[in-house]
Amino acid sequence: MRWSSPLGAVVLVAGVLSAGAYVVAVLDVALGRLTAAGHLRLRHALRQPLDETALLLLTRPSRTERPDAQAWALAPALLGAMAAAAVATVPLGRGIAVADVADGIVLFGAAMAMVMVAVYLHGWSANSPMPLLGGYRFIALALSYEMPLALVLIAAALPAESLSVGAIVASQHDLWNVVRQPLGLPLYLIAGAGLAFWGPLDTADGPDLAGGTTAEVSGPSRVAWELARRFVLVAVAVMGAAVFLGGWQGPMLPGPAWMALKTLVLLAGLVWMAHRVARVRLERFVVVAWTVLIPLALVDVFVSGAIAL
Amino acid sequence: MGLRRALARLAAAAEAPVFPVIGAGGRSVAGEIALLGGVRVVDSPRAANVLLVVGGITPGLLAPLLQVHDQLPTPRATVWWPGEPVEHQDLRTVLGEVVVARPGDGDTLRGVFAELVGGGRLSDPPALPDDEPAEWRGVGPYGQGGTGMTGGVPYGRPLAKRSPDPDGLELDQLPLRIGPMFPPLPPGLILDIALQGDVIREVAVGDNPFLGHPDGPAPAGLDTALFLEAARRPQPVATIELARARHHLRWAAGTLRLHGLASESLRVLRLARALRPEHALEVETLARRLRGRRSLSWATRGVGVVTPAQVGFGPVARAAGVAVDARLDDPAYDGIGFSPVVNDGGDARARLRQRLAEAAQALDLANRAGARVRQPGPALEGPRGPLSAGEALPSAALVDLLPRLLVGQEWGDAMTTVASLDLDLEEAAAGARAGAPA
Amino acid sequence: MIRSGTVDIAFWMFSAGSVVAAWLVFRTDSMVRAAYWLLASFAGVGALMVLLNARFLGLVLVLMMAGEMTIMAVFMVMFMMNPAGLNPMTMVHQHRTAKIAGVFAFAGLALVGLVADFPDRPADARRDPTSDLGRELLGDSMLVFETAGVTLLATMIGAIAIASKRGRYGDAEQGSAPPALEEKPPEPAGMEH
Repeated sequence: MRWSSPLGAVVLVAGVLSAGAYVVAVLDVALGRLTAAGHLRLRHALRQPLDETALLLLTRPSRTERPDAQAWALAPALLGAMAAAAVATVPLGRGIAVADVADGIVLFGAAMAMVMVAVYLHGWSANSPMPLLGGYRFIALALSYEMPLALVLIAAALPAESLSVGAIVASQHDLWNVVRQPLGLPLYLIAGAGLAFWGPLDTADGPDLAGGTTAEVSGPSRVAWELARRFVLVAVAVMGAAVFLGGWQGPMLPGPAWMALKTLVLLAGLVWMAHRVARVRLERFVVVAWTVLIPLALVDVFVSGAIAL
Repeated sequence: MGLRRALARLAAAAEAPVFPVIGAGGRSVAGEIALLGGVRVVDSPRAANVLLVVGGITPGLLAPLLQVHDQLPTPRATVWWPGEPVEHQDLRTVLGEVVVARPGDGDTLRGVFAELVGGGRLSDPPALPDDEPAEWRGVGPYGQGGTGMTGGVPYGRPLAKRSPDPDGLELDQLPLRIGPMFPPLPPGLILDIALQGDVIREVAVGDNPFLGHPDGPAPAGLDTALFLEAARRPQPVATIELARARHHLRWAAGTLRLHGLASESLRVLRLARALRPEHALEVETLARRLRGRRSLSWATRGVGVVTPAQVGFGPVARAAGVAVDARLDDPAYDGIGFSPVVNDGGDARARLRQRLAEAAQALDLANRAGARVRQPGPALEGPRGPLSAGEALPSAALVDLLPRLLVGQEWGDAMTTVASLDLDLEEAAAGARAGAPA
Repeated sequence: MIRSGTVDIAFWMFSAGSVVAAWLVFRTDSMVRAAYWLLASFAGVGALMVLLNARFLGLVLVLMMAGEMTIMAVFMVMFMMNPAGLNPMTMVHQHRTAKIAGVFAFAGLALVGLVADFPDRPADARRDPTSDLGRELLGDSMLVFETAGVTLLATMIGAIAIASKRGRYGDAEQGSAPPALEEKPPEPAGMEH
């Protein structure tokens, strides 16, 4: 099958995203239980996400008073589509890529910028205060981490002298970017957690907003929104594995296996962080993002640029 | 049909998503809900299939309860843990299908959920008519309600007013009423808020729903009931201190959940449920671990500073560096090496550290007190402050503090502040009945 | 390579889509929808640029506009006295001025389209437009772009200075407010009475 054919593309992207989302859900249940009770029931962790999804599919979607119904339905689709576009640019093995285009990293950036649109639209269109506040908060957060995100991706593209994700993977043949640019991956993961409003950066749907952007959705709409959000997290991890952990390259195992392994490591890290780190205080995070994270990202770009020269 | 049945089979094995509503006398069992097997407490009624009403429903809680009930998506069911005795409104007369169960009975709750998903039980009908709260009165080509771009009163709601924000801009204000069943706030607290973005510009505390009831809340249902009892009757010091530690741990669990550490919060609740004086070391370790949690300090440092001049009693004052404690003057505590723990800063972080340290200290005291029995007489130091007959209970004064503390804060900080004060609206109502503040 | 027929169809679809979305900006009755219809229009233009082989510029256009339209929506909602921007409101006003300006703008652009002599130099398809763009930015056009860039940077720093915590009217956390017009005895900032 040619992966750039329409059928191949759908199979590959949907497969990666769904498998990733399931893994995230399982890890989430497992780590939650490990923290709460000190032990783990693997069967429970494997079944729980499926049971919960089934329950939501049986539950009726809720209505608010005069929502913008079309925008409300569009938002999860847009969020999921952006995650799919982001994954499509990443080669998952030698020659296994839907669209390893020459400006792949820019495409990823544009898709991740559209995440902001999807989240605000979802928060706003419910016509309810808590989702709206969640939307506002997401924008405040997103504007703070978009810059570090863009800068570390540019830094990663410098040694490759190309904006194509495939070329960036190839440029790490001898040395992974995580070693070459030690600032890159941590900054990228912080921004990535923010993009999926995940873990300590879940200010858009934290319990202090009674669920924020998810506060008014139930049933299948809830499934759609939560899935789309996990898709974004998976897209972030896939791109992180490609750009900072050498992508599909590695000894012995075939390329896709390495890619899956590296993605899994990043996803596990992100889920662990969510259970371990308390939610950030928005105001402080914004200050830190502008006064610490952006300068660090600039240092990352300058140093990487100097080395690349 | 086959797909539906397959989904139902899977769904029946899911954890029952429960939205708890805490009524009068419900707080003492509220800490148990999250620990029930096969049950998951959710943040929003939209995420729940089972509405769990705990305790009595006062007239002030009834209308909000019906609204919350109708916000649950179908299929939904209502379970009521009325507590003993049933002295408030019988929920069964207002909501058609209510399953009454003994408080803490998770099996009935699970059973109702399984029936609901399996199709053996019909979903609750709505309690209120599904009408627009106000008639459409807009005019103009887009129904904008006036002749200009905006103006008029669309949907019967006044347009937001504008007011200067801290940066000198004129921005719109969103009026908002939250509570009395808003999970981040203590049960019963109603706040009327004017928001700019997520910054709070005005706050007024709404009527206490526990106050309007003719009998008033029964002190026996308060979560500090044991302490109120001890103020009147002899009680072993070890029992009092164990209850104090449990109270503080349950509060800490709620705070952890608010800050996004839900699984950690369950662990603390588990510890609180089985708490015995021998657990002193565990609580000590927990206090140290949470103290060292950078992210938690980061989220609470400098938030909601209360000065000793504003509150001069209880853990809130001690967290601001004042060594006040009724136990200092209590002969029951003589000679067991009691001296108050204090923290400085008076912010939410100090209060978290304060209560964790006090929980550890309480277990330590419980161990050292042996069989010592406290005699009624002097004021008793409760978990929120001194309790003495005929005087206002501590929560009343803390609730009055809210408007001044919250104005100008961002939403998240405001919720952190409210949680950090450990308010109980029922106690505030009982206190208001018991007597005027000194 | 994608067949040129597909490219043609896509070109016309995105062109028509952009125009329709731009028209909907004024036909909708909500500020947020208007902002996002404009974004849709820009995204269509971005797609056209990608089709015209200016991939980098097209993607950057979408990237920038996603953030800018969101900020615009939020500011509109916050400046208008319309709670959350969900109450309906018309997006057209000052009809006469708008009509005149619209007719003139259309006539002007149409004139340019008809009269101008567009260059007709097919570029080598193997050249990489992104690296050409980079060379241009750091070559002949450097002065222009750096001047614009530094000006924008100075504006941003100025805006941040005004909006920062220690802004015009004192510390924002203390509840800063503009000074009163009449002379009043000085009050300590931030005290609540």
